[in-house]
Amino acid sequence: MHDGPLIVQSDKTLLLEVDHELADDCRKAIAPFAELERSPEHVHTYRLTPLGLWNARAAGHDAEQVVDTLLTYSRYAVPHALLVDVAETMARYGRLRLEKHPTHGLVLSSTDRPVLEEVLRAKKIAGMLGARIDDDSVVVHGSERGNLKQALLKLGWPAEDFAGYVDGEAHPIALSEVDWSLRTYQREAAESFWHGGSGVVVLPCGAGKTLVGAAAMAEAQATTLILVTNTVSARQWKDELVRRTSLTADEIGEYSGAVKEIRPVTIATYQVLTTKRKGVYPHLELLDARDWGLIVYDEVHLLPAPIFRMTADLQARRRLGLTATLVREDGREGDVFSLIGPKRYDAPWKDIESQGWIAPADCVEVRVTLPTSERLAYATAEPEERYRLASCTHHKISVVESLVRSHPGQPTLVIGQYIDQLDELAAALDAPVIKGETTVRERQRLFDAFRSGEVGLLVVSKVANFSIDLPSAEVAIQVSGSFGSRQEEAQRLGRLLRPKSEGKTAHFYTIVSRDTVDADFAANRQRFLAEQGYAYRIVDAEDVGA
Amino acid sequence: MSTTAYRTLADQLRGWPDERLSRLLHERPDLATPAPHDSGQLASRAATRSSVLRALDQLNRFELCVLDALVVLGQTSVEELVDAVAAAPEDVRTASARLVDLALAWESPQGLRALSTVAEALTPGSPGVSGLRPVSTDPLPAAEIERRLDRLSPQARQLLEHVLDSGGTATSGNARQTVLPEEAANPAEELLAHRLLVPRSGGSVVLPGEVGRALRGGCTTTYDVGEPPALATSERDPALVDRAAAGAAFEAVRRVELLLDQWGSHPPAALRSGGLGVRDLRALATDLHVDEPAAALLVEVAQAAGLLSTAAGPNGDPRWIPTDAFDTWTAKPTAERWLALVVAWLESPRLPGLVGSRDTAGKVWNALAPELAGIHQAETRGLTLHVLAELPPGTVLASGTGVPSLVQRVEWRRPRRPRTRADQVVWAVDEATALGLAALGGLASYARPLLAGDRSEATAALAGLLPDPVDHVLLQADLTAVAPGPLESQLARRLQLVADVESRGGATVYRFTPGSVRRALDTGWTAVEVHEFVASVSRTPVPQPLTYLVDDTARTFGTVRVGHAEAFLRTDDEAALTELLHHPKAASLGLRRLAPTVVVSDTPIDVLLPRLRDLGIAPVVESPDGTVHVARPDLLRARTPKEHRGRAQRAVRESAHAGQVVSAIRAGDRAESTRPAAPADRLSPSGSMAALREAIETRAAVVIGYVDNQGASTDRLVEPESLDGGTLTAYDHRSDDIRTFAVHRITTVREVPRSAV
Repeated sequence: MHDGPLIVQSDKTLLLEVDHELADDCRKAIAPFAELERSPEHVHTYRLTPLGLWNARAAGHDAEQVVDTLLTYSRYAVPHALLVDVAETMARYGRLRLEKHPTHGLVLSSTDRPVLEEVLRAKKIAGMLGARIDDDSVVVHGSERGNLKQALLKLGWPAEDFAGYVDGEAHPIALSEVDWSLRTYQREAAESFWHGGSGVVVLPCGAGKTLVGAAAMAEAQATTLILVTNTVSARQWKDELVRRTSLTADEIGEYSGAVKEIRPVTIATYQVLTTKRKGVYPHLELLDARDWGLIVYDEVHLLPAPIFRMTADLQARRRLGLTATLVREDGREGDVFSLIGPKRYDAPWKDIESQGWIAPADCVEVRVTLPTSERLAYATAEPEERYRLASCTHHKISVVESLVRSHPGQPTLVIGQYIDQLDELAAALDAPVIKGETTVRERQRLFDAFRSGEVGLLVVSKVANFSIDLPSAEVAIQVSGSFGSRQEEAQRLGRLLRPKSEGKTAHFYTIVSRDTVDADFAANRQRFLAEQGYAYRIVDAEDVGA
Repeated sequence: MSTTAYRTLADQLRGWPDERLSRLLHERPDLATPAPHDSGQLASRAATRSSVLRALDQLNRFELCVLDALVVLGQTSVEELVDAVAAAPEDVRTASARLVDLALAWESPQGLRALSTVAEALTPGSPGVSGLRPVSTDPLPAAEIERRLDRLSPQARQLLEHVLDSGGTATSGNARQTVLPEEAANPAEELLAHRLLVPRSGGSVVLPGEVGRALRGGCTTTYDVGEPPALATSERDPALVDRAAAGAAFEAVRRVELLLDQWGSHPPAALRSGGLGVRDLRALATDLHVDEPAAALLVEVAQAAGLLSTAAGPNGDPRWIPTDAFDTWTAKPTAERWLALVVAWLESPRLPGLVGSRDTAGKVWNALAPELAGIHQAETRGLTLHVLAELPPGTVLASGTGVPSLVQRVEWRRPRRPRTRADQVVWAVDEATALGLAALGGLASYARPLLAGDRSEATAALAGLLPDPVDHVLLQADLTAVAPGPLESQLARRLQLVADVESRGGATVYRFTPGSVRRALDTGWTAVEVHEFVASVSRTPVPQPLTYLVDDTARTFGTVRVGHAEAFLRTDDEAALTELLHHPKAASLGLRRLAPTVVVSDTPIDVLLPRLRDLGIAPVVESPDGTVHVARPDLLRARTPKEHRGRAQRAVRESAHAGQVVSAIRAGDRAESTRPAAPADRLSPSGSMAALREAIETRAAVVIGYVDNQGASTDRLVEPESLDGGTLTAYDHRSDDIRTFAVHRITTVREVPRSAV
């Protein structure tokens, strides 16, 4: 019997035994086409999805390679139906091509006439296409490039886009690698993006995605529009770009609720773009304000739906998506694939962690028991009130206090969702609090103070979830959060995963109320973290500090 | 082959050694039952049409061609036969020997000859038949025919070829039949003059076999009939074929077990017609991660192997549940379980390939439907697999073209089988692939001994290819347990109790959830047992979250208790309850104290209440919302019956009903009025038919005496419309509708005067 590290299941999951001697080779071989679903300590689970296979196809792998890899590493016989399915799925990508035609402009062509016929008969496609040129090609309205790709993906015939990109307005940008240099994976990521044209780079939080963006800009040498999640993150991008590239602060504009500058490199927030006044998006013109050569989407997994629609019209420009995870809570992974591009680079978290770029983390769930009075209040509460009641128990405050005490001198973040609770905590811990109503200036000041070590303890609401770089945080204590979102968990952990001096371990505490919905949501988080391979423990509140 | 000549077939059979005779009886088993008295009876039985047809069905196309040539040549020598068949001489000799062995031909003093019934059975157009007429009794020499053919005019030659292609006979029309070659006025006369067409009685002409042969270049066919159609093949590593097939075999066994396990606890209902509902099949397919045809195959195979049957459920409706054989089957090693399934499949007449398609009446075929069987199915499967087995290891059917070529080859082997055969061959290949007998278009190495009849070698070879059962799992912090191979059966069952199965295949992924742990506690496990079990099966340390999960579930387990009671008693007076509980007469009331102030009873309230009053207690009844229910004897009232239908509607119905009755009465009257005083003579069948036909022609009404299903004879006034296939279609005055009547039940037919209608 063949003794490989991989077990191929008939439900299209692949189980990889990590302790096997061939596991590393196998991981590298299957990474291009299989999506890592979970990576707990012994057996990692990958899944074969059409999108994953098409991503691989876009990266130049063919079905034979995939089948061969599966057969080579598989321990048992590979279900025949699965192999057939892989071959069929992969053969679907690229049957249709979007090309530039010297006289007709944008053209959809196919080497497989029945496929083209099938697609032409689809109702959703009809309006996007113009005249038939010959048996194998048809004119596409230039404005429908993105919508067409999106619709074709839904039909299961993703088109390969060969129509090329506009160069955009040239602007010199260079990396100024004086006292630092790009890490190997950052360079690889930027290169594979550039060769692929457009696409998404998947790197964990703290792995330096901003620099991948900067490297891509240096390749493009053109005016760039950067879309980020919020203002604080926009400022961070700006600081980083000024520090790491030849760009000066004057060349970089901020386009947010507060400031509306359009410069060769403009950083805009999703929020301002999606602001709607009288049924129109007044800031949409930003997209056409300059002849952008590159558009960078930060945190692609959070890209709001209106931006998708706008992106559909930007298909002639190069697009770089940056994200920690392709998993979207709204399941629109397919739109990311068709509108921004296939995955161009991916590195599993644990791999990067073992290279020392992100800190190892110790995840602990602390369970507090509600006192009888609160249990009664909880039991009789309306369902929508229950989570707030459970997660805001006063018991948590004393637990937080003892946790903070057990990590003296370590920069600590306390993260929560409910403002009342945060205020209470801030009072009890005598620490500053950052919440929605805190001004940007004040936020900036507190974050700077935290980074420099002036402030050792910060209570933050969910505004801190995304894109705020607090590399010095060593302990995070989460007291409440959105309803068990996997994405939020990744972000919060990301706060802590920036490289630590002396290779210290980060601590991530979640405090939950036992026997309530709070604990149910925590179970989701626990699963996500354990699936990501983090050690996870559960302790009772009574044992904390003991 | 013996060269002795025999006077009759019976003589020949008499002269055969026992061993050759028994071979004949083996190949044509219908000759042996019931045992014939003597060779004479055997010979006559062998010559009956039905037996000959059966024997012909066993021949391949080439053998049929040889037999056909023999029929064309009449009585001839083997060497002559070799000349006449376009194939390798050695093959023709072998084939003719086989025909003799099958007693389809015998060696007469004048040479080899086919049974006369064979000639009748080989109708033109049936497989292997060349379409030549028999050779005439005194044929012209071949050279002479050649010479005459050469001298023909082009038109005559064309006509001759046309006659040959259309079966060797034609009508002569106005052509003169006796004419000299010089006087021939048209091509037909030319051919008749040269004796290339021979006149027969009734104005038809026949093209003799020898002329046909000459036209076809000396043989009965213009093409080589000896070569079977080639199989389209390609190369494949036999080890890969084996691996893929063994994988399929493992999956098939696993899925059958899963399906029967599931139906053991949640059986689907059997349809009234005996099949399995479409919805149940679809649900099963989803559960097994297969498509519906594959699911249909699995249930069919499970049934064929005797693992699945119907039994009445609690409400008497039949349901599909596993048989007790399933339990012995599960205990066996995988390879043996596979063998049981495959052997059942090979011999089963079932047609799972039809499931989901519609029959001629447009009804969907259900899996497990009793009618879903075909008499040739098992034979086709065997034949298909044997053809596959002829491919050497390493050679497989080419993808795409391979299966159609296989279909052709199988058809060549048994050309007289019905046309639906092509589907059946494709199904056989698909099903063999699904069951792991074949993969990638080639037969698995372990399937070869099975086809050859050596079952133990087949299982041994398969067992070597199957994953070894494992006795441990890997526990992980995300509360999953991965069994990196098939778990030992007992272990798998226990693990399934404490954890949910998340993914199946070569490996199995289990997930521990509060629900699954509680399930284990429900069946009597303790937390300690769960801990021990988990620790004993795991090869890795038990993760802390799992330990915590088990303890946490055990903590809340059983904190709420549920029991059954018919009534409760509550009071603020604890002493009163204590007194009641200790009252000797209260012992039969089944009282239990739950709390100082609450007692429950398993006696229903209507019994309990008077008994308590007897004991000197004055209880009041509480309603569900806690208020006191004052009981006063209810006064009984029945419901006022409702008018269900509107008056108008009822009136219409009534009048319609009356109309029917009237027309029935009138029809009866008319029948009565024409009844003759004396009972009518029974007509002979042909007489009544004639009378009815006449009525149809004249569009007249008649009164028929008709015997109904209960045997009662009635007179019916009808207007016959058509008479066909033993039934009469007629307008029946009594029922005011078109009805059909079985002619054999019509006893009398009497005319009705037109005025009476």
